[in-house]
Amino acid sequence: MRVSPWIVPVVVILAAVLGIGGARLFGAPSFTRDYAAAGGARVETVRFVVRGLKCVDTAKQVAGQFADEPGVLRYVAYASRNEARVTYDAAVTDPQALRAAIEGPVVDEASGQIRFHQFEVRSMDGAEIR
Amino acid sequence: MARRVSILQVLRLTLQIAVAAAALTAGVRLARGWSLAGVEKYCPFGGLETAWSFVTRRSFSCAAGELNLALFLALLGLTLIARKAFCSWVCPVGSVNEWIIRLVRRTGARLPLEPPRRVDRALRWLRLPVLAVILFFTWQTGELVFRGYDPYYILTSAHGHEVKLWSYAILVAVLALNVVVPMAWCRYLCPLGITLWPFSVLGRLRLRRTESRCTACAACSRACPHGIDVASGTEVRSGECTLCLECTEACPAAGALELRLEGTKP
Repeated sequence: MRVSPWIVPVVVILAAVLGIGGARLFGAPSFTRDYAAAGGARVETVRFVVRGLKCVDTAKQVAGQFADEPGVLRYVAYASRNEARVTYDAAVTDPQALRAAIEGPVVDEASGQIRFHQFEVRSMDGAEIR
Repeated sequence: MARRVSILQVLRLTLQIAVAAAALTAGVRLARGWSLAGVEKYCPFGGLETAWSFVTRRSFSCAAGELNLALFLALLGLTLIARKAFCSWVCPVGSVNEWIIRLVRRTGARLPLEPPRRVDRALRWLRLPVLAVILFFTWQTGELVFRGYDPYYILTSAHGHEVKLWSYAILVAVLALNVVVPMAWCRYLCPLGITLWPFSVLGRLRLRRTESRCTACAACSRACPHGIDVASGTEVRSGECTLCLECTEACPAAGALELRLEGTKP
């Protein structure tokens, strides 16, 4: 069947729209860690966008930042979106303390060196931080 | 008819410029620290690179993500319909290559040269080892390790991560190759091009030549930036066709070269 050449840009644009929209289907977390059971606690979740959180390795490093942080229950990282979702006991800690933990010095497991400013929180629950 | 196609070519150029500008903007925004999303996030080839990681570990390679994977799958769907239209309507590297060829031709030089068909066909297989090496090391390391060699990344990342001085030398070499052979990168080195090729062979939109209307001037073959001999058959079956429609634009005989959707009634 003869078709108009205009079908080409139409199909191209349609594919782009489907590709961008379809990204939601593959939104798997890059890394998950449970720290403590949530029994009886005032459970809340905060969503951080973190500069430096971009792959499984860096997601694990962020998880290490919460190792000694009281009140952290669960951490889920979506590296492709630079996103960390932290579930915590609001009676014990708060988002500012969690942010401080993320932005704190990072100990490199391989070399033992301490790195500063490796992670920087850019937004917290959608609100940009300057 | 000619006017309609001309408007279509203006639209194609507009799309090419828009995509290239959007990619460059993303690169500058990341480089300046205004955004965390780099140019890799919008590259469908990143979807293929991270596919193994997603299937085996349910995670993505570093700097790649769900958008890459979804764009790659959408690209496969697009290719099954509209051949390698992505290459001539969207890809910034293809666009820049095309613009360079136009500039070279405007100088009046008899360049670039179309290589002999046998050589051209043989060289196209170079893309296969390029693809194999990239996928092997990316799947092994879980990192997009070839960023420093990738013309798309070098071109749009605003001196991004892993771009070195030699990366620019590679970019200049890739672009300069167009002076010798048109679309040399796309024909002989692009790993995405060879990935799409088998899907493009099955593509449903095809250009068909009506011999009774054709003047046999071969203007269509000369216009094809990918060196397809459009005038030699009644249908363009080559998996390298990007549906840029330069051939229909060049054709002086109305109705001699038409776009058809195969698998449907005439």
